[in-house]
Amino acid sequence: MTPLQLLFLGVFGLAAVWFGWRVFRTKSMVRSALSLLAAMVALGGMFLALDAEFLGVLQIMMMAGEMSIMAFFMMMYMMDPGGMSSMNMTHQQRPAAAVGIGAGVLVLALALLTPWPPAQALAPSATQQNHDLGIELMTRSMMIFETAGTSILVAMIAAVATALAYPQQPD
Amino acid sequence: MENPLTLLVVLLLFGGGVYALAVLEYWSVAGQLAWGRPARLVLHLLLQEEIRPRQSDTVLYETAPVLFLAAAALAAAVLPWSADAPLLGLATGALFVNAAFAYVMVAMLMGGWAVNGVYAMLGGWRFLGQLIAYSMPLVMALTATVMRAESMLPARIVTSQLALWNIVYQPIGFGLFYLAALALAFLPPFDFPVAAGELAGGVWAEFTGTRLLLFRLGRLLLIMTLALAVTVFFLGGWQGPWLPGFAWTFLKTLLVAASFFGVGRYLPRLRYDQLLEWSWKYATPAALVNILWVGILLLL
Repeated sequence: MTPLQLLFLGVFGLAAVWFGWRVFRTKSMVRSALSLLAAMVALGGMFLALDAEFLGVLQIMMMAGEMSIMAFFMMMYMMDPGGMSSMNMTHQQRPAAAVGIGAGVLVLALALLTPWPPAQALAPSATQQNHDLGIELMTRSMMIFETAGTSILVAMIAAVATALAYPQQPD
Repeated sequence: MENPLTLLVVLLLFGGGVYALAVLEYWSVAGQLAWGRPARLVLHLLLQEEIRPRQSDTVLYETAPVLFLAAAALAAAVLPWSADAPLLGLATGALFVNAAFAYVMVAMLMGGWAVNGVYAMLGGWRFLGQLIAYSMPLVMALTATVMRAESMLPARIVTSQLALWNIVYQPIGFGLFYLAALALAFLPPFDFPVAAGELAGGVWAEFTGTRLLLFRLGRLLLIMTLALAVTVFFLGGWQGPWLPGFAWTFLKTLLVAASFFGVGRYLPRLRYDQLLEWSWKYATPAALVNILWVGILLLL
């Protein structure tokens, strides 16, 4: 990894942390969702800094739609979407803090204690990465992705079905 | 880009094309070709008083116009004008174009929310529904061109059309991409987010001066980029006899963009719910059929 790559990795990483923090510092649902979008884009930037072109571009593309839809749903369901009155977004603060710290320690331990394979000196070319990802998706990871995709589809259909208003049935 | 002179010519042609589109935009509304009008409009907007709506969201308000323009410009950068002239050759070019277009929607949503106005907010949320509905056929039509080229490099997609342009090879995909491009640039049959006469300007209603100028310039750039994308993915890109490659790209792009405005001049604005219904019920399945069609042709 060149020093320039390391610099960009650091800058995007700090940006991701900063925007992730901003998500919880606002009472407006849209500001919160767009802060999360910015954090996700910064993660995409980290992928790009690590020469993972496809993953970076995919992350940046998918998050635009997903976070916008999330903003819309939060608008629909929150009683104070604009954050105009003094709605409190946090609750059960002590248990939440405990769970957060516990999860953080766990993730850190996993990252430090896992015997990672040695880092590759040079990333494969972007075209090769596209090819390899395609092969991976169509062989070893196929079942995982197909299962996840089908589950999401079923959940979407179920969500739409429960939202439909059925006409009153005659007795 | 190998030759700096070609780069200069391409940039000049792109700028000239955007100016011509500004003229055509007025033609599609008023039916007159006023060649000096865009220049006067730029001066007018630069000198106009900046009016800030009360209680607007400063960060989003300032970000939206810039993000809009940047998204359109970034998409243009990966589309090649001739065999040796993509500004930025990306191995994931076709995907990158989509990523950039998605941020057009984010910018509109930001703009609609930031100004603290009902019409603007309605326009922003409308565009969210519209773009998500029409980005499905757009992405899937693009996927079919990528399947034929076996590469996401836009230049490779052009060379895959040497024998037969994609407009003939996959006409359903072309039709879907063309319509989705109109929806993405919110051109007249699909102009819901800004809907003149209904939402009083929608998302752009509260923007004045240079910010409005950025939005309007960004939209023209977006239309030019989408026309360029139609050219590259379906009309054989730079291929053509006698003239140099970039000249063919320019001519085809301008023709496609002019046809966008032509469609807008002669078609009425449709109903929003019908528009979404048609996309999900008909355009998305048709895009799947198109992928199947291309798959069968490739296997034959």
